[in-house]
Amino acid sequence: MAVGADAQITDLTADDHACLTFGEPEELFDLTAAFVRDGLACGLKVVWVSDSAPQRATSELARRGIAVESALAAGQLAAAECEGRLLSGQEFDAGRAMEWLTRQMAACQQEGFPGLRVAVDMGWALRPVTGVEQLPDFEEGVAAALAGTAVSVLCQYDREGFDPVTLATVSAFHTRSVAAATYYADAMLRICRQYAPPGIRLAGEIDYRYTEPLALALTEAIRFEGDITVNMTALTFIDGSCARMIVDAARGLAASRAVALHCHPGIAATFVLLGAGDMAGVSLVSTHDR
Amino acid sequence: MTDEAPVETGSTTARGEPPVLDQAFDGDSLYPLRAAVAAHGSQAGLSEGRTRDLVLAVHELAANAVRHGAGQGRLRLWATPDGVRCEVSDDGADGDGPDAEAADAALWHVEPGHGLWLVRRIADGVSVQSDPSGTIAAVSFRLSAPGPTAPPRR
Repeated sequence: MAVGADAQITDLTADDHACLTFGEPEELFDLTAAFVRDGLACGLKVVWVSDSAPQRATSELARRGIAVESALAAGQLAAAECEGRLLSGQEFDAGRAMEWLTRQMAACQQEGFPGLRVAVDMGWALRPVTGVEQLPDFEEGVAAALAGTAVSVLCQYDREGFDPVTLATVSAFHTRSVAAATYYADAMLRICRQYAPPGIRLAGEIDYRYTEPLALALTEAIRFEGDITVNMTALTFIDGSCARMIVDAARGLAASRAVALHCHPGIAATFVLLGAGDMAGVSLVSTHDR
Repeated sequence: MTDEAPVETGSTTARGEPPVLDQAFDGDSLYPLRAAVAAHGSQAGLSEGRTRDLVLAVHELAANAVRHGAGQGRLRLWATPDGVRCEVSDDGADGDGPDAEAADAALWHVEPGHGLWLVRRIADGVSVQSDPSGTIAAVSFRLSAPGPTAPPRR
């Protein structure tokens, strides 16, 4: 399969300085939600410095099953924008950014949390920001600060936006590289694992020629315990062969495991024809309901 | 909804009129085929849902021709006064003899949930004509027909 040397987001541990590359916002939100979810579950404090407004960031987490309200209220979760943390007046200074991180680590300890997880979206570095050339210095500083601590940092890079040289330079300072497990990807179709909620995600158009990677993705999703989501919200066409494969996989699961099919009404109509609308444990969630 | 759509005989609605779309296809060109059918279905006045059904029906017939027939085929589409009519033709399986016959049987075997079964569920009319020179499968979608597409319930 195509995971290659990349680690899974669910494998990260304390003092990891991980470099996440993503190709689209859906992937970023999914992987971040898994990072946040696993951190909260371990009782850690979690901070996400996102490139979008904090409210958007938390609503994306909530949409993926994170109990955002209670975690925010308990001070266990914080969502912030980069201005005032990594940036000051749209200016980046590696030293000041490191001071911010060090303060976060100290505050977390004072608040009594056993550890800290920080996710940082580096999207700001794609804009005309003064001092962006200090980005490698910051990454090097983070690597040094984390060794032997109970703090992990997930740096998030848009692989379409950043040039390969920058990505190669900064990735050298990370302990792991993280990406979504991808079973198939070309201009027309993308099949990858979804982490929060667990399942698979299909985008583009899929037909019988891609039943092999679809079968692999479904098999791996089924291998994990718990309910399964088949996220087809970005799928514009599915033919009978692939829809049947998904319905058969859902039918084959134990009754205790629910399968949620998220898709547009047009895609849902094909699943209704194949009987998915009346199957126990299978729910068809139209994206218009969201 | 009946279990099977009514079967038409012959291509009388299409006779004499040149098709608005005449496109050859094989396994590598199903994507542009679906895009062209979607554009023409929408242009002919089919609703969004029925255009999707039309695309699915044509894809399933074309996929049948690719997978179980000659590996390639031809789609012709007519805009008729009351809707859209499509013919998917296929020159039959490669070679002659028992293999060709078996492939032809596989092509038009109706199994619940499979290609032709789906087509019969969503098209307003379906006909299949087979002879030694090949097979022509035709589907029609009427403008006024509500069709089986309905928004799903949660």
